[in-house]
Amino acid sequence: MKNKGIVIFLISLAIVIIVVVTIDYISSKPGELPANPYALGMDLFSRTDTALIMFNEKRNLTINFSEPTGLCISNGKIFVVGDQKLQIIEPNGNLLKEINFELKPTCVFASPDNIYIGFRKSLTILNREGLKIANCNSFSDSTVITSITERSGIIFVADAGKRIVRKFDQTGKPVGEIEGKSGNDQIHGFIIPSPYFDLAFNSDGDLWIVNPGKHSLENYTPDGKLRTWWKATSVRIEGFSGCCNPAHFAFLPDGSFVTSEKGMIRIKVYKPSGEFLDVVADPSKFKDNVHAPDVAVDGLGNIYALDIDRKMIRLFVKKENR
Amino acid sequence: MENNPKNSRREFIRKGSRISLLLTLGAVGGFSARNITHEKYVWQIDPFKCTQCGRCATSCVMTPSAVKCLHAYDLCGYCDLCGGYLKPDPNKLSTAAENQLCPTSAIQRKYIEEPYFEYVINEDLCIGCAKCVKGCTSFGNGSLHLQIIHRICLNCNECSIARLCPSDAISRVRASKPYLVKGSFTNDAKG
Repeated sequence: MKNKGIVIFLISLAIVIIVVVTIDYISSKPGELPANPYALGMDLFSRTDTALIMFNEKRNLTINFSEPTGLCISNGKIFVVGDQKLQIIEPNGNLLKEINFELKPTCVFASPDNIYIGFRKSLTILNREGLKIANCNSFSDSTVITSITERSGIIFVADAGKRIVRKFDQTGKPVGEIEGKSGNDQIHGFIIPSPYFDLAFNSDGDLWIVNPGKHSLENYTPDGKLRTWWKATSVRIEGFSGCCNPAHFAFLPDGSFVTSEKGMIRIKVYKPSGEFLDVVADPSKFKDNVHAPDVAVDGLGNIYALDIDRKMIRLFVKKENR
Repeated sequence: MENNPKNSRREFIRKGSRISLLLTLGAVGGFSARNITHEKYVWQIDPFKCTQCGRCATSCVMTPSAVKCLHAYDLCGYCDLCGGYLKPDPNKLSTAAENQLCPTSAIQRKYIEEPYFEYVINEDLCIGCAKCVKGCTSFGNGSLHLQIIHRICLNCNECSIARLCPSDAISRVRASKPYLVKGSFTNDAKG
């Protein structure tokens, strides 16, 4: 009889322990809550059909920058800016030259003769040896310089803050502006919701400017007349999504566009006519919610992407079986 | 009575020790008094840490939650295609219910001029689910962000959302700076 009491006590104790453990197990704790009923599923859009990925990542160059901002390739050399410096690097990663500045550069463009460094509100022109030729401070307080290109001695500077492209001569003197407005109802000047506003000349000498708020690429004559344009708005792989894409672009030797997007990071190739062609790198290649990588192309059609968050230049080469 | 030098040295050390103790106590007391404040503390969300997990909507003791979406207008692109207002891949860029991302239609879309639209949060309808914040962060500038609205918040001693927040985005701050609101990219201070 005495033993029976002990057994009942032990059974009761075991039941209490089981109840306590069960309650603890099913109670709300970080990581153990039910799934978010308001989740915005992005998987459908961030997953990419691997058959569309036509480039392999061949190698990476780790760069000595804490905040890289811009990239370009000229005469087989890689030009990278960020922090308060410019580095000129060989494709094998060998550092050729480093030039320091007082301010943080935002973008770089190198022509066969000169190097153009864009800062937030100013422009500096260096020769290929790195010696300063001219400086231009003819900008407004709201200026945010995001991209530079040059053709026939005229420098084209994308000003995301003022939403215009400014033109300068080689002495830094202003020689005009491109507002991007036309009589066409579909085109409404440059819509720049964030500091991503890129421009470049293709191998035929045509000036192309991104209108990121319209998801369009627009071709202008050097004096600012709209010649043609194409746009691709879609959250799906074949289009540009979000408020302001593409964030950066470059040209392949055949005139195709290499585009880089912010938000859901994607690097893709579009035909010269604007039709979607290939994927270079899908969102799985990048961290979530990171900066859009600046892109550049070498003479062989290899694509270099400046991964700002991993602080490296990533080289993508077209698959051979293509 | 003869003056004993040994006693006077001992007395000197004793007095010196008392004075040193008093001075130390006074210094510690004064230093502590400087840090005493009558200012209240409130709960605050750091929008740069927030991962839009949805727990602000489900875990707050208030119904609907005291956490609401705030809009940093100077950061907004006023886009026609707004990732915070429209579902991904909408049928049309319109105000039709099937195209809206917000489960309670708490965001109002107002036409300004071609092609700009303003997005205004209706605080009474907002439940703080952060679905729009996720859309805006993923596709846009991140101008939509969550904040605890202090005229609604009960300022619980232990915030039930802070206890569950997976990114530790909620903390106690002085009531003089209750909100951490996002800024503009053209603002030098914010970069």
